Amino acid sequence: MRWMRTVALVALILLFAVAGPGLAQAKLKVGFIYVGPIGDYGWTHAHDQARRIAERTLPIETLYVESVPEAQVEPFIEKLIQQGARVVFTTSFGFMDGTLAMAKRYPNIIFGHASGFKRNRNMFTYMADFYQIYYLNGLMAGALTKSGKVGYVAAFPIPEVKRHLGAFALGIRAVNPGATVHVRWLFSWFDPAKAKEATEALIAEGADVFAFTEDSPTVIQVAAKKGLPSFSHYSPMQRFAPQHVISGQLVHWEAIYIDFLRKVLAGKYTADNLQNVDYWWLLAEKAVELGGEFGVPINPVWAPKLQAVKVSTQEFGTVSVHDLVMRRLAQMSKKPVAFDPFTGPIRDRKGVLRVPAGKTMTVLELTTMEWAAPGIVGPWPKEP
Amino acid sequence: MEEWVLNTIIRGLALGTPLLWAALGEVYAERSGVVNLGVEGMMILGAFSAFALAQTTGNPLLGLLLAAGAGAAGALLHAFVTITLRANQYVSGLALTMLGLGLSALLGRRWEGLPLLETLPEVSAFTYLSLLLAVALWFVLYHTRWGMVVRSAGEAPAAVDTLGVNVALVRYLAVVFGGAMAGVGGGFLSVAYRPSWTEGMTNGLGWIAIAIAIFASWDPLRAVAGAFLFGALFHLSFRLQTWVAPEPLQMMPFAFTILVLAATARRGGRARGAPEALGVPYVRGER
Repeated sequence: MRWMRTVALVALILLFAVAGPGLAQAKLKVGFIYVGPIGDYGWTHAHDQARRIAERTLPIETLYVESVPEAQVEPFIEKLIQQGARVVFTTSFGFMDGTLAMAKRYPNIIFGHASGFKRNRNMFTYMADFYQIYYLNGLMAGALTKSGKVGYVAAFPIPEVKRHLGAFALGIRAVNPGATVHVRWLFSWFDPAKAKEATEALIAEGADVFAFTEDSPTVIQVAAKKGLPSFSHYSPMQRFAPQHVISGQLVHWEAIYIDFLRKVLAGKYTADNLQNVDYWWLLAEKAVELGGEFGVPINPVWAPKLQAVKVSTQEFGTVSVHDLVMRRLAQMSKKPVAFDPFTGPIRDRKGVLRVPAGKTMTVLELTTMEWAAPGIVGPWPKEP
Repeated sequence: MEEWVLNTIIRGLALGTPLLWAALGEVYAERSGVVNLGVEGMMILGAFSAFALAQTTGNPLLGLLLAAGAGAAGALLHAFVTITLRANQYVSGLALTMLGLGLSALLGRRWEGLPLLETLPEVSAFTYLSLLLAVALWFVLYHTRWGMVVRSAGEAPAAVDTLGVNVALVRYLAVVFGGAMAGVGGGFLSVAYRPSWTEGMTNGLGWIAIAIAIFASWDPLRAVAGAFLFGALFHLSFRLQTWVAPEPLQMMPFAFTILVLAATARRGGRARGAPEALGVPYVRGER
């Protein structure tokens, strides 16, 4: 009997030796505030996927609150902190001022705000931006539109959406100088009924290729029902209309979350040194990906159609749009980046010179961009 | 011009149909004296269950049938809490909305993103059936004994009680019927209007249906006008963005529908004013 007791004791000791460090050291609690439901299949869904991956990869524990109204972020942040969160990520532009106010009230908590431009010593900003991909989508849209009208269902007229629309329009015009992008604003990040009616309105006006910023696959489905192609947004939506989705934008927020949290765990980032920390991560950092499905940059159904359209470029001579997209993608996928869609000279749709020849836009200029690129048709609130 | 008119009418019918079903249901529930703020919750339960069954069986109409059941089940809960237990109707309705949104989100995770092979056309025989149904419901409400009993339960429950009418039963039936209607409205969203399931996809349409029921002065025919007018204006608010600033346009469908319904409300008479006992639990012997 005694030997059994010894074995049990040894087993217990071994168990503690293995589990002990994990138990003794409380895991870093990380809170996430989402603007939509995690099942939205768009922006919030993508952040939540990243949260799960980060939790699996790092020794952290995560909490989240979904569907938080933009104006009421402060009490929700407060709640996460009370639940023990030491790092709080707020994942919508509209949370910016509320997050900053809370960062000042809680100087020992680390805050991260997605898509904004205000920082503090304990608040950094981060963004996995799509403008390069929107340009690539634009190249394809320009090649495929027959009516010369491309439809865009847009969420809010804020710099982020305007920048993406601008890059999209520049891409379209690069292969199809006479084409236009017609915009409809929803004033909502998630509203299937609005997205549906806006798409119907654009179809009625003759648009035949679609892109959008709204967190449901509504636009894709409505367009596909009429046999029209579209670009997926944010989450892999090609599966909703496998014959009609050309390509799209995909995000890897986990690239940013894991990199940042690793540095927090290592003590490199603290609540004192974030004033100038801004993750502006693009293709080269692998925070974003071209495609409507992970690993599929262009839907094979559409590849032959894009190969059939040839354009002449200064850099590559006469190439198919398909190859142009792949070359531009390669140029932007490694550092130093060899191509930027916002390289001057660029005039806005009113003719004002916005980017001088030979210059590219700075991150600050991109994140505060209000002007409309040429080819954009439709209302443009706060147009300079 | 012709294209504009035609297209606007079609869009009005398409979005108006689910709103109409839910609004008609609420008209009956409120006419019997029970406010049900759970329309959003019953609609989303309907949307989810219709999609799930239509996806499994390939039959959208079967889906709608289940949606009616799901909406009715939600309403039955509300009826039990407010009629039998006499709890606050507003609180119970809000709870039902939250329950519906939460439950459908939970159950719906694995249905997210699945395609629907067989869908119902947005404007079809179903649309005309909806119109006929509205007329029938109007007729029943104003020109039959049943309708009178329902209205009386909402106006003077004590009086009909003395006549031997079971007020609780009438209210139960009206509320459950309202739930079934809201369920079908929600189901229409997921198998016809936008054949797909997305968490929270009703996104406030249930509240619009309640508003239509109220501003239509609890009259089924006026609810028809309200629902289709709202649908058409909602579509136009995007169509007109080329000419009108988008910010004020957003409010246009709401403001205009309310304005029209208010302006055409009959002065005095039966069509105006809320049912006298609306929101008041009925207790026999109390005044």
